[in-house]
Amino acid sequence: MKIIIVGAGEVGYHISQKLSEENQEVFLIDKDPEKIRRITENLDVQAILGSGTSPERLRASGIKEADMLVAATDSDEVNLFACLLAKNLNPYILKVARVRSQEYLEEKELFSQDFLGVDRIINPVSAMVDQIRSLMMAPGASDVVDFEEGRVKLIGVTVKPDSPFVNRQLVSFRGVEGKVLVGAIVRGEQVFIPRGEDTIRANDLVYLVGKGNALPYEFGFFRQGEKEEGRVIIVGGGVTGTALAVALEQTRMNVKVIEKEARRCTALSETLKKAIVLHGDGTDKDLLQEENVRDVDFMVPVTGDEENNVLISLLAKGLGVKKTITRINKLSYIPLVSAIGIDTVVSPRLSAVRAILQYIRRGRIISVVPLKGEHAEAIEAEALETSDIVNIPLSQVKFPKGALVGAIVRGEEIIIPRGDSIIRPKDRLIILALQKVVPKLEKLLTVKLDFF
Amino acid sequence: MHTRRVLHLIGLVVFFVGLSMALALLVSLIYKEPTTWDLGISMMITCGAGAILFFATKGEAVSQLSHRDGVAIVALGWFVAGAVGALPLFLSGSIDNLTDAYFESISGFTTTGASILNDIERLPRGILMWRSIIQWLGGMGIIVLSIAILPFLGVGGMQLYKAEIPSPVVDKLKPRISDTAKVLWKVYILITVLEILLLLGGGMSLFDSVCHTFCTMPTGGFSPRNRSIAHYDNAYFDGVIIVFMLLAAINFALHYRLLTGEVGVFGKDPECRVFLGLVAVLTLAVTLDIYGSVYPSLTQAFRYASFQVSSLITTTGFVTANYDTWPSASRCLLVLAMFFGGMAGSTGGGIKTVRLIVMAKHAYQEVFRIIHPHAVRSVKLGGKPVAGDILSSIWGFFFLYLTLYGISALILAWVGLDPISAFSAVAACIFNVGPGLGLVGPTQNYFSVPLVGKWVLMLCMILGRLEIYTVIVLFMPEYWRK
Repeated sequence: MKIIIVGAGEVGYHISQKLSEENQEVFLIDKDPEKIRRITENLDVQAILGSGTSPERLRASGIKEADMLVAATDSDEVNLFACLLAKNLNPYILKVARVRSQEYLEEKELFSQDFLGVDRIINPVSAMVDQIRSLMMAPGASDVVDFEEGRVKLIGVTVKPDSPFVNRQLVSFRGVEGKVLVGAIVRGEQVFIPRGEDTIRANDLVYLVGKGNALPYEFGFFRQGEKEEGRVIIVGGGVTGTALAVALEQTRMNVKVIEKEARRCTALSETLKKAIVLHGDGTDKDLLQEENVRDVDFMVPVTGDEENNVLISLLAKGLGVKKTITRINKLSYIPLVSAIGIDTVVSPRLSAVRAILQYIRRGRIISVVPLKGEHAEAIEAEALETSDIVNIPLSQVKFPKGALVGAIVRGEEIIIPRGDSIIRPKDRLIILALQKVVPKLEKLLTVKLDFF
Repeated sequence: MHTRRVLHLIGLVVFFVGLSMALALLVSLIYKEPTTWDLGISMMITCGAGAILFFATKGEAVSQLSHRDGVAIVALGWFVAGAVGALPLFLSGSIDNLTDAYFESISGFTTTGASILNDIERLPRGILMWRSIIQWLGGMGIIVLSIAILPFLGVGGMQLYKAEIPSPVVDKLKPRISDTAKVLWKVYILITVLEILLLLGGGMSLFDSVCHTFCTMPTGGFSPRNRSIAHYDNAYFDGVIIVFMLLAAINFALHYRLLTGEVGVFGKDPECRVFLGLVAVLTLAVTLDIYGSVYPSLTQAFRYASFQVSSLITTTGFVTANYDTWPSASRCLLVLAMFFGGMAGSTGGGIKTVRLIVMAKHAYQEVFRIIHPHAVRSVKLGGKPVAGDILSSIWGFFFLYLTLYGISALILAWVGLDPISAFSAVAACIFNVGPGLGLVGPTQNYFSVPLVGKWVLMLCMILGRLEIYTVIVLFMPEYWRK
């Protein structure tokens, strides 16, 4: 597939990297020569210097033959105009745009085929707000991914050193079979898809696959969430903070927003109905104690300053907050902050990357979610009649090493598979796989290989 | 630098070189030569050594090569490839001295075409074929070939590509580097087949056609004949080879664009226009110089002048006339042609036309600034400004070229060569041409160069082929510091 990406910011860069690792033909346009130089040094893509809103530059990147355009700059206007130009130059091209402004998002006809013809809008803020809410539902988890409208959940949990599961082989977990399954283990910088004989160690980040309505809390991996109840302090009343506060006001949560700028505070208090707006600094210990930080369930620093967010979370943890959810922008910071005890991070850029990738991988693979560390993915796919994986027990399917079926969705029924489970045609599968085996997996899912 | 990864990929390069011996082996089998065994053993040793090195160093992801690793793999890879390429020459007894065998092999891989053989025609055909194969492989680059074939290199491939094809501006024909490498090799193979057919059509034997084509396309210049192309004394062959030498010295990106339907691309490209212009001007000047003084007829003068000029400016090194006996103006022009070289992105050596253009424009701009001290101008190439860092890298490159040229010539003179031979031998090797003047002239060879001189020239060839930076950086203490 030939894909043009406009904007080599954090989002554009990461999408390009992922796609080029999957052997797609990627053209990346940016007007900053420094960024272009960094790309030619580090990525196997065609870097084009210029503006994404220049028809000449778009033609130079071969837009006539391209299959898709992803407009991922920081500017909504540039993204939308790039889509308009793309539509004009190549009516058949698929267009994905990153749009943040709530005002634009509400103008539905703006994106319709008659005008801009944007096939998919990616709104990093709302994606992130959704993710923060999922995380609040599972307080022990540091990452939550929903499949099939939340009927299947993939939950990332950091294993505490005192957990009963430390240093035990996976096969020894009796009674868990059919209810929950360990799909992937992140140990330091490494990700692997476990087999029965692997053991869990302290501080591993373990990804569990489970049924959304009946999460197996009783196995002690994490405690159950209070169904969106409790006290939340949001630090930062920017676009994200406001959107989050508005969303949480709909629930039974007790929301407080701390904002540094007086003028923004006034604006916030006008927008918000129930939530309490506090004027002050999130790193101000006195302010936090004044607001009874000890009894707060969630501390959510979402200011634009990521270093500050990390500090606020550390301070809040020290003051006794039960859980922090920290906004980080630079993806390279994620492994660093987990090393200093901040296990739950959200990133608008990572959310955008996830959303865009999910859309790009079409065909039989329905959606893909990169997991933490990014070297593994959760894939949602449909089992075809012609595929080699159907109608035989799972233990006999020749899956590539580093791939595992985490759940089978058959109509209303959800099966957490065991060795003797059988995949039927038309089943939807949640598969966990290392990135390097994804191409093999794609083949296995789509074509029947007669010479096996 | 990650020693494991570097050795891993060098192992692979060695293995490829071993595999490519199969064609020479086949030729040897067809002609039922006694050297078949020697070629078979060389192939086994090379493939075996490559495979052992490859598997012994397995385990580290090669897609995360750094630029440093890339430089080490390419530079060391070329030295090692030269060494294993010398095995068939040495084991078969065709060359009985290790230094000489290594010299011949390095000269082959770097597409220099400088030989130490006094009597080429006495060699078995399998070995002659091997000499041609190494030139052909070296032309488009062994590393580029591995990038084309190996899917797992990923971004690592780009580091290697940049180190092996160090043109001033990277020409990525396709977004993915492995696709770019594939395209380059396909174009290369296509033009190669075309030349073989044209030479066959003119009545050259299959073996000679293949050998000569394998040495034309990389602008190499080895010939299975003692007297090179002069052996045939055939104007048709001269013509065909002139055309293909020029094609080989034109940027392969242009060939690709021509093949994809972009007509008139040679005329539109500013570098190509200057390159072809230089060929025309030099041919005209040499023709006029030798007309009357060497050749009585104008057509003859033009035929020999055009061949020699094309051969030396493309840095091929085939000869149809002993230009060492021509008037000194012609000899001087021919040495200048060696300096010019072909276009960037071609298989030719030399300073490369694009650098000459940029340096000339920059120099003019400096003069212009004396007249208009407040003028703001930028150096442009084909209407596009040339970035400052490219400009400075070109000047740095030029300085290194001249410095290394001077030092090497000095060493050669010191070990006993006369100044003309010393200067022309270094030019012929560092620009990957082959024949020089005097002691290393077109009817002579490098056999009589003293031992130290040969090693210096070998280093020059690799420096020239990889355009200096890739090799010289390995000699910097800074490179090895952790």
